[in-house]
Amino acid sequence: MLQTLKKVGMQKFLAFGALIIIYVFFAFTGKNFTSTATTLNILASSYYVGFLALGATFVIITGGIDLSLGALMMASALLGGALYRDMGFPLWLCMVIMVLFAMLVGLANGILVTKLKLPPFIATLGTMMIMLGLGSIITNTSSKYFPTILEPDGWFIRVFFKTKSGFPVGAVYLMVFFIITFIVLNKTKIGRYIFAIGNNEEAVRLSGIKVNLWKGMAYVITGLGVGLGSILYSATYIVVIPNTGNGIELQAIAAVVIGGTSLSGGVGSLTGTLIGVFIMSILKNGLISMSLPAPYQTFFTGIVVIGAVLMDVYRNKKANELKKIKA
Amino acid sequence: MKKAKRLLSVLLVLTMVVMLFAGCGTKEEETEYYSVIAKGFQHQFWQVVKKGSEQAAADLGVEIFFTGPEGESAIATQVDMINAELAKNPKAIALAALSTESVLSQLQEAADKGIPVIGFDSGVPNAPAGQISANASTDNENAAGLGAEHMYEAIKADIAAASVSSPVIVVILSQDATSASVTGRSKGFAEKMYALITADGQSAAITGDFAAITTGDVANSAVNVKIVVGATPDITDMTNAASGVLNTDNLLGVFCSNEGAVNGLLAAVNAGSTLGADVKVVGFDAGAGQKAAVRGGTFMGSITQDPFAIGYKAVELAVKAANGEAVSDVDTGAKWYDASNMDEPDIAQLLYD
Repeated sequence: MLQTLKKVGMQKFLAFGALIIIYVFFAFTGKNFTSTATTLNILASSYYVGFLALGATFVIITGGIDLSLGALMMASALLGGALYRDMGFPLWLCMVIMVLFAMLVGLANGILVTKLKLPPFIATLGTMMIMLGLGSIITNTSSKYFPTILEPDGWFIRVFFKTKSGFPVGAVYLMVFFIITFIVLNKTKIGRYIFAIGNNEEAVRLSGIKVNLWKGMAYVITGLGVGLGSILYSATYIVVIPNTGNGIELQAIAAVVIGGTSLSGGVGSLTGTLIGVFIMSILKNGLISMSLPAPYQTFFTGIVVIGAVLMDVYRNKKANELKKIKA
Repeated sequence: MKKAKRLLSVLLVLTMVVMLFAGCGTKEEETEYYSVIAKGFQHQFWQVVKKGSEQAAADLGVEIFFTGPEGESAIATQVDMINAELAKNPKAIALAALSTESVLSQLQEAADKGIPVIGFDSGVPNAPAGQISANASTDNENAAGLGAEHMYEAIKADIAAASVSSPVIVVILSQDATSASVTGRSKGFAEKMYALITADGQSAAITGDFAAITTGDVANSAVNVKIVVGATPDITDMTNAASGVLNTDNLLGVFCSNEGAVNGLLAAVNAGSTLGADVKVVGFDAGAGQKAAVRGGTFMGSITQDPFAIGYKAVELAVKAANGEAVSDVDTGAKWYDASNMDEPDIAQLLYD
């Protein structure tokens, strides 16, 4: 156990170091990179990925994966937009439904993986496609838009994106969600069981713990993150287009991996995930501040992901060698 | 180790706070920097727009950054880009927005910061009054009118020979009756053709799926200018619509108002519909299929927008607006191309594959 703790700690320090190095690099090379405006952009463009990644950390710690994150977030936003624009639902109700819908789909993922024993990769791949299709079906393949600042419900943007004076309120919600998930993962039974399942599912089962329940819970928590993420996404970007969103899950998963959570399960950290999210966001804004076109962002994110996982693999190997020597 | 963990959390929060306030004291440098944010990068169209804007930047001695999202549904990417560009305090921004609704906060912010915004290509449709200083875009009606002039020259004799008892028909094939560019082209072509025909003393009517411009009495006209819109913009529906058009008796000419209509017509011909040897076809925009059809003579010619001028004028307007000069919308023009001139360098660069 000490070994794993050390491992996570190490990865986090490395990730944190990388964050600082990347930030300093752009501070020197970027245009106005250290300005308040850019800093606010770094925070603002991390909102929705942050919620997705924090939620996904739970599933990934169980040794699972959720490929439906991006498509589900869009489907949930499209559903909210359709209810708001076409059915005239009040905005607050749309938001509640968006979160409940995403949690419900998370539950469905959980049932597919636990009760029906589908491999998480396949189960959530299927959900991803269903969500892409569903988003188009409920909106009749037309894009939906949330209230703009010119409409009476424009408070939505001020409350969930940034205030009129430019304060990034979304960052506050992200921190609150981080603190809550942090407590759940590190201080409660849910978290302990989720780690235990990721480490050795069979042992947990044999000790009489309801694996399906706790594992399913991880998927529901992920769904919660996605639902909240869809609200922040809608407030930030206003317009939601059907048949988009696949690819966003990979950003979220990349952030989780950069933060030191192992894709084979049992090891992980939300602090790391948050660092991962900011690394990606700094990369995104930094490369634009250097006036480099968008494809470079994807390119360099790929390099960071590979670098992060390489370090992880290398340290795992070292740790295993140490164990062998000791044994 | 627990201590280290806690320390790390504190450090993380601290960094975020420091980041929040880091910039407050930073001096922002003053350069002649302009942002040009396009709708995409993938089409050659945008590459030529970029060339035009870079030429303008070189001519005017300013620095520009031409950027755009990876595709036309990447709204989030474009919004992030606009935010990032605003943070760089450009002298002005030229913008082709993917969606007006998604950029309203950004337009407001630009207005608050005193950064003029110039629309280019499709610009920012229905933006709040005063937030877009001017647009550099193709006037679709004028552009399609140019096509009507060329087609009319070629079918003039047949039109003069037609009568109410043996009428002829000219069809405009369009993929929708909603988008501003396509409806503008349908209207521009139909009205120009109608004006040319009636100016020569022949009777004509405009009919079809676009009620707003229906004119004249088709039963008592020698020429029917008919607008046909596909059931959906999908290639299969456009192909069906095109087959129907090609089966029309006394068809003199077809104007395809965009690449979707062109591809529908070409697909219908490939699927066995006969394109009469005398039927004159005029297309719009470019693309590999259309270029081959023009080169091979299936099409008498096509209209292309001038993306180079769009990019050039966008930067020119941005610089003018930033220097406080009065600016107004600019028609960036359109060019006619056919087999005889399509390989000339200044035309060839406008024709994407």
